[in-house]
Amino acid sequence: MRILLIEDDRVLGEAVRDQLAADGQSVDWVDRLDAAGAALATTPFDLVLLDLMLPDGRGLPFLRRLRGRGDATPVIILTALDQLSDRIEGLNAGADDYLVKPFDLAELSARIGSVARRYSGNPNPFVTHGPLEVDLAARVLMREGQPLTLTAREWALFEAFLARPGQLLSKSQLEDKLYAFGAEVEPNTIEVHISRLRKKLGPGIIETERGLGYRLARA
Amino acid sequence: MNRRHSLQGRLGLWLGLALTLVWLAAATAAALLARREMTAVFDSTLQETAERILPLAVLDIVGRDDEGVTQHLSAIRANDEIFTYLVRDDQNRILLQSNGANPADFPPWDGTGFRQSGTHRFFNDEALRGSVRITVAEPLDHRAKAARDLLIGMGLPLIVLLPVALGLIVLTVRASLRPLRGFLARLAARNARDLSPLSAAGLPTELAPLAQTLNDLLDRLAAAFAAERSFAANAAHELRTPLAGAIAQAQRLQSESADPAARTRAAEIEATLKRLARLSERLMQLARAEGGRLRLDRAADLRPVARLVVEDLAHAAPPGRIRLSLPAGAVPSDLDPDAFAIALRNLVENALRHGDGGPVEVTLSPDGRLCVANGGAPVPGDALGRLTDRFERGSSDRAGSGLGLAIVAAIADRAGGRLTLVSPREGRPDGFEARLDLPVS
Repeated sequence: MRILLIEDDRVLGEAVRDQLAADGQSVDWVDRLDAAGAALATTPFDLVLLDLMLPDGRGLPFLRRLRGRGDATPVIILTALDQLSDRIEGLNAGADDYLVKPFDLAELSARIGSVARRYSGNPNPFVTHGPLEVDLAARVLMREGQPLTLTAREWALFEAFLARPGQLLSKSQLEDKLYAFGAEVEPNTIEVHISRLRKKLGPGIIETERGLGYRLARA
Repeated sequence: MNRRHSLQGRLGLWLGLALTLVWLAAATAAALLARREMTAVFDSTLQETAERILPLAVLDIVGRDDEGVTQHLSAIRANDEIFTYLVRDDQNRILLQSNGANPADFPPWDGTGFRQSGTHRFFNDEALRGSVRITVAEPLDHRAKAARDLLIGMGLPLIVLLPVALGLIVLTVRASLRPLRGFLARLAARNARDLSPLSAAGLPTELAPLAQTLNDLLDRLAAAFAAERSFAANAAHELRTPLAGAIAQAQRLQSESADPAARTRAAEIEATLKRLARLSERLMQLARAEGGRLRLDRAADLRPVARLVVEDLAHAAPPGRIRLSLPAGAVPSDLDPDAFAIALRNLVENALRHGDGGPVEVTLSPDGRLCVANGGAPVPGDALGRLTDRFERGSSDRAGSGLGLAIVAAIADRAGGRLTLVSPREGRPDGFEARLDLPVS
């Protein structure tokens, strides 16, 4: 998933970025609302993590403007404002979830997963696809009862496919899910990850449309 | 310095005193003037009497045969003479004397005109070249009595007037202060959270500034409450962001480090930071509960708040650990939803932390009673009473800030509710139950 992190505290932002990267997500981190607006205008993000108090303005009006434009990107608010009224206001402004600082990074990962699943149309973290059984919340993947181990990058790719079964995803779309803006991408990285993932999942699960991209075969 | 003065009493005292003094001064001045006039009138009567009697006495004496004999005039009727007189010749022999005259009172002849002794005022006159001399005497007592009567006559109205004036003062003051009493009654009747301005209608102009000053004070109070509230929120915010960063970094350190000793250290740092975060949060909540305004001027349903708080806490607890029961109908209350959320959160966290690991039952009744119950060994009665003290933990080996129940108690107290702690639970040999009675509207 490609995630936009809007957070002005350097120490917290760094830890969140590293945590999400370790989860295999690609994170773009900005510390100002104007930069966030520019990033959202040019790049399709799967999720936004929004702090409410930023040097150049408040997060809630930003969120309202975003929703007002019809942008439905999932938003999780990360804030130090803990009063219930702040929270209700945040949810009313169109946030999908609300995490009060300080939070556990594991909790953040779990909330991101749950919001993403809700958006994919299947909030259930247990997914069965052909011979595969997946627990997205616990990140457990079984093939015919045997556990498979995926790297963070492979998970990110697998989740991207699983969210849109049967849909063709181009190489650049997959790169967007995996890499933050400006990150160096080796020319054949996606191919390498896909081939490793394919080896682990077994044949007939990920199909290749030559020159166009890849898709998860319908079960 | 804190002696209180009754406005009514002071007005009565000083006005009464001033009235009396002015009256007395006026009466004295009038009496002095009247006395001078009276002296003139009395003197002229005295002189006239002498001038009337003298020709008669001359006739009488001249027609007499024997010389030098005193004739006593007996009264026609017995009466108390005011004027007495002596008629004497040039040898000082008494020729004629009035009925009540006592010659000892009369001084020897020394010419015509007015004379005065210690007891009488006299008028001397003579006829026939000094051979018949008359002296008319008037006792001074007579004049003094007249003057006294006059003075009393002028003082008497004062005795009547003074109580009437005082009564009028009291009535006026009372009538003038009636709007003030109404104002005070309205002030006393308002509830503790009402900071709306007071109406000064009906107050005398002298007291209207009082209402204005009070209104200014109420404004400042409302502003102070708002400032305190935003201070607590800002302070919490300023503390939380760096703590969040430090905790997140400590968690990353644990994930990234391969060295078990370093991981243990990072975990210890994380635990300490979390304790610090909890404590600072509780202190803010306590400040909020004690300083802020906990009742709003509008009522809102408490159920959605309860649902949100429990949902939130359920994330961190094993599934099904918290059981929430809400009534079918709304539970409207003017209690600040944030204050309610703080109270509920603390009660549930307390139950999760100190319970036996069994379910925590959260029940909100339509009458505004919030019950949070958990299993566990019963808490002895004396310890139960101390639980709402600050930094008091049920058992010292449990983690916790020791502020949770103190915060709930402060909210209950300031919002006009009541916190009751019961252990063991009703109808059971064990367990703990916190009942919070909230104001409902």
